[in-house]
Amino acid sequence: MLLLNIIVRYFFIMTIIELRKFIDFLIERDYLVWTPVKKDNFVNYERLNGSDNFQFIGEAPFYSFKNFLVPCEETLFNYKKDELTEIDNSKDQVIFGINPVDLKALVLLNHIFEKDPWYQGRMKKTLIIGQSLIPKEPEHNIFHYKYEEDVLEHLQFDIFIEVQKGVFNTKYFFYTGSEKGQKILDEYGYSEYENIQFAGPIKEEGQDKNMIKYRDSLKNNYKKELWEKDLGTKCIECGKCSAICPTCFCFDIKDQPDLKNGAGERKRTLSSCFYSDFSEISGKYKFLNNTAERIYFWYYHKFVKIPDEFSIPGCVGCGRCAKVCPVGINIFKVLSELDNNEESIQDTIS
Amino acid sequence: MKNQYKTQLVKILKIEEEGSESKLFTIKAPKDFKFKGGQFIQVSLPGFGEAPFSICSDPNQKKSFEICARKTGVLTSELHKIKKGESVGIRGPYGAPFPIKLVEKRDLLLVAGGLGIEPLRPIILEILNNRKKYQKVQLLYGACEEKDLLFSGEYEKWRSGLEFFLTLDKPKDISGNLPKKWKCQTGVVTDLFDRAKIYRNAVAFLCGPPVMYKFVIKKLKELEFKDEDIYLSLERRMHCGVGVCNHCAVGSFSVCKDGPVFSWERIKDIRGAI
Repeated sequence: MLLLNIIVRYFFIMTIIELRKFIDFLIERDYLVWTPVKKDNFVNYERLNGSDNFQFIGEAPFYSFKNFLVPCEETLFNYKKDELTEIDNSKDQVIFGINPVDLKALVLLNHIFEKDPWYQGRMKKTLIIGQSLIPKEPEHNIFHYKYEEDVLEHLQFDIFIEVQKGVFNTKYFFYTGSEKGQKILDEYGYSEYENIQFAGPIKEEGQDKNMIKYRDSLKNNYKKELWEKDLGTKCIECGKCSAICPTCFCFDIKDQPDLKNGAGERKRTLSSCFYSDFSEISGKYKFLNNTAERIYFWYYHKFVKIPDEFSIPGCVGCGRCAKVCPVGINIFKVLSELDNNEESIQDTIS
Repeated sequence: MKNQYKTQLVKILKIEEEGSESKLFTIKAPKDFKFKGGQFIQVSLPGFGEAPFSICSDPNQKKSFEICARKTGVLTSELHKIKKGESVGIRGPYGAPFPIKLVEKRDLLLVAGGLGIEPLRPIILEILNNRKKYQKVQLLYGACEEKDLLFSGEYEKWRSGLEFFLTLDKPKDISGNLPKKWKCQTGVVTDLFDRAKIYRNAVAFLCGPPVMYKFVIKKLKELEFKDEDIYLSLERRMHCGVGVCNHCAVGSFSVCKDGPVFSWERIKDIRGAI
């Protein structure tokens, strides 16, 4: 064992044995370690209690990491009569092995919740550890995103592990993206990492070309047939796509009274623009009145509003929405419809 | 870190009946509380949640401010039960106001429909209190029935400083007579465009329901108002008030943060804006 360690240190590069030791170190440090695990052909995040048989999974997990940072429901305040007390829901956790496609969603969530004390509190106690295996299945990587080393400076993480599969063994190269990441590796006793300075989400060559294309199409060329006839009649407004999407973050804030008099919780719950009360105001008036308007709103938010606000796409192309849609709406096909100018039915906005 | 969702407890100093279903709340202003006409606050009643309300008082009044709430839902019903001396939680003020600076040098047309008079009242009061600073001002205000009229105790004062035109959709009072005391006419707010001689080259500030905007903007365009001279306040569902939750999205804007007041120029091409 000692000899093996010496050999490993000599090569400065972690092997799977070393990687598993690092995981054990994190577990011993009382972190909740979440990682994608494959069971019965189903990949999903699970809590690791030990590193036995740990392997990075190249396939996309069914759920993304979203709910570890933006829970479906969380208590913001406890209230007693008029007094609100802020609640800290954060706990030490590691999200281990986020693939580069999903990491793009993290960049967006970090923007959205930059001033949110609960999100920031959670991020402070969370170690984000990315890995380089990109889902090969086209339905999980619809923009054909590739892993290249230069993508790292446009992603946010504490540690990023590049997986290099060799003939005899797989090697793991370590990068850090924050002081927090460096600190934990230093404490573990591994110093052969390279630090990457986050250069913002936009690449040197400028804004994403697909993003510009879809934005222009949605903004300037309303496809009546697509929204009102096709998607507007097909979609059943179940909201599954919002729940599974790593970038869908729209929320409600509601009070939930306790059984005790005058006490309760002010809660934030993830919402979906497919639900009919999403746009409802006092007097029951709604601004999104039918399925067509709601699904258009969903696409518009991802492909126009977010690009206008942050210059990055609101969709990472993971394809989860298509996978869970009970009526077979496929985002990839919708986007290629947007791109298809030949059969467009132009409708000027009155 | 600073918590944007934390509310401040403020005392209710005065409650007055306003119209038949609304109450006007005078609220003690927190330290350094400043607002401009068109902005709103989130009012929090623990157990019933939060809801946005336009601030409707004179912005020069520093010690207190006012909101007017019509009883329409759970939160407003609860708000109506509150008594003088009790407290509510607030956060804000939020949003982009009407560009009052712009009308120091230009004539102003105010058009209000129903509750839409509320966010325009700070503009009216600011102008009346500093009359010389501003140019000619017209106010067209349409409400459904006599009982819906807000701030009716001030109409004489308003008339003293600006051209005020009032119309009621269903003007008959309980006895079936036209209520003469309001000096109003019958019809919707756009009908007033035929009665008032609208100033050319004025700036227009509008607040009312979406259906009013469709017709008023049509009238304004007939009068050759430029898109950038028409300002309107949009109403949307709001939860966060700080541009995050996305309930109030209109095109690429969040009404709570980028609005609620927009120039027509900015939103005219957005599907479903009005």
